[in-house]
Amino acid sequence: MREILYYFERDLKRWTRSRKSVFSSLAMPAAWLVFVGLALPIRFTDNYLDFITPGILVMTMLFASLQGGTLLIFDKILGFLNKFLALPAPRESILFGKILFIAFRGLLQSTVILAMAILLGVKMHSFMTVPLTYLVLFIFGVLFSAIATTVALLVDDYDSYSAMNSMASMPLFFTSSALMPYEMMPQWLRVIASLNPVSYAIDTVRALFSGNFLLDGMVELTAMVVVVLMVSVYVFRKATV
Amino acid sequence: MSIKTIGLTRYFDKLCAVDNVNLEVGNEIFGLLGLNGAGKTTTVLMLTTLLKPCTGEAYICDFDVVREAGEVRKVISYVPQDMAVDIKLTGRENVMLYARLYGVADRNRRVDEILGLMGLAERANDRVNSYSGGMRRRLELAQALVHEPQVLFLDEPTLGLDVAARRKMWEYISSLKKNGVSIFITTHYMDEADKFCDRVAIMDRGRIVAMDSPSKLKNNIHSLSAKEPSLDDVFMQKVSAEGEQGGFDDYKFRTLLRRRK
Repeated sequence: MREILYYFERDLKRWTRSRKSVFSSLAMPAAWLVFVGLALPIRFTDNYLDFITPGILVMTMLFASLQGGTLLIFDKILGFLNKFLALPAPRESILFGKILFIAFRGLLQSTVILAMAILLGVKMHSFMTVPLTYLVLFIFGVLFSAIATTVALLVDDYDSYSAMNSMASMPLFFTSSALMPYEMMPQWLRVIASLNPVSYAIDTVRALFSGNFLLDGMVELTAMVVVVLMVSVYVFRKATV
Repeated sequence: MSIKTIGLTRYFDKLCAVDNVNLEVGNEIFGLLGLNGAGKTTTVLMLTTLLKPCTGEAYICDFDVVREAGEVRKVISYVPQDMAVDIKLTGRENVMLYARLYGVADRNRRVDEILGLMGLAERANDRVNSYSGGMRRRLELAQALVHEPQVLFLDEPTLGLDVAARRKMWEYISSLKKNGVSIFITTHYMDEADKFCDRVAIMDRGRIVAMDSPSKLKNNIHSLSAKEPSLDDVFMQKVSAEGEQGGFDDYKFRTLLRRRK
């Protein structure tokens, strides 16, 4: 499956050669951390930054993944996808190349946040917190970039994709456990939040930060990844234009 | 036969885009002519495995385009009309991507060779955003030829190019035929089809209404007209021209213009 790396390298080069997009994707999440983490007047904890950092990390990965679907949309609109689909290389390598790049870019953004968080004095339990956090974020990123890329393959134009993106991203974030603990939520939100896969990732990362390992969260996310990837691979193999 | 179709048909809902098309193409330059919406691109998409026929069969180098799509993809190259080259990558990187994806052996040598053949060697390490339209087209051709395909599909290969770039493009295409490649082209430019295609098929509302060498087609209508007929005259007589079928795709047009920056 070397083809995955070839597609990955193409997207990576295209991204890194545009300094504006590199700067904006690395600076924006950090802005969230500072403005939400330090500025909101929160009463349930005296250190909101400790609480919100896992939420911002997962949010960054979520938005990066959903935004990543536009890569395929533009490949499609501009005619690249037709050329790729007519190649003998396995078609799912297009999908995996995108997933790899989107998840990789999301992890770079997460690194900026982690570094900022450490500078701002966010407490982490041990040195194992960081690699395990990366692992959870990666699995979560694979899940949503696979969904985003597959949806992008199926919709016709950029406008419908971005409409679907904005319909999904904000509700997923605000109905998760990112901003407040379950005890502080109204009953209806608590139900939604406990079903939201974004919460699984946040709760798992939050547990890691305080030294616990939530096996359930990891297993649930991995199971979803397996199912989503099977569907996505099938859709890519069968794709016609 | 490089390309053979038997009763190839494709519906989009109730619209019959391609209607019972029978073609045989060998080592030649074969031009498919027709108005916008006549079914040219749909035909090409089916032959390049990107779209499934509703009924009928199509074979590329004796491989079935539906059942043996993987084999078909190994022997063809397809250049759509969109000028899809990565402008942030260099010319060499653009071609190298395809050499790798095709699994070309000895790819460094092959990429240099094909860039040289397309007259891009000197600018190979420049980013494509500094290339002219003609150079971008030749770069696409280099991508398509890097694995030495047996059948080449070109959708409007000279669209938007100036006179010199067009002539150059046709020189490259003609030299490919001499090297044994079968070339299937769609175009709106009758003068080019007349000059460079060995045979042309005229398509109207999904059906092939005429198919022969340009000179024979012109001879056949000779008696009807006082002056020397051109392929334009043949075309206008064969198709039921009522202006464009369907709406003008301004979205595609804008995309095309934007890419030229």
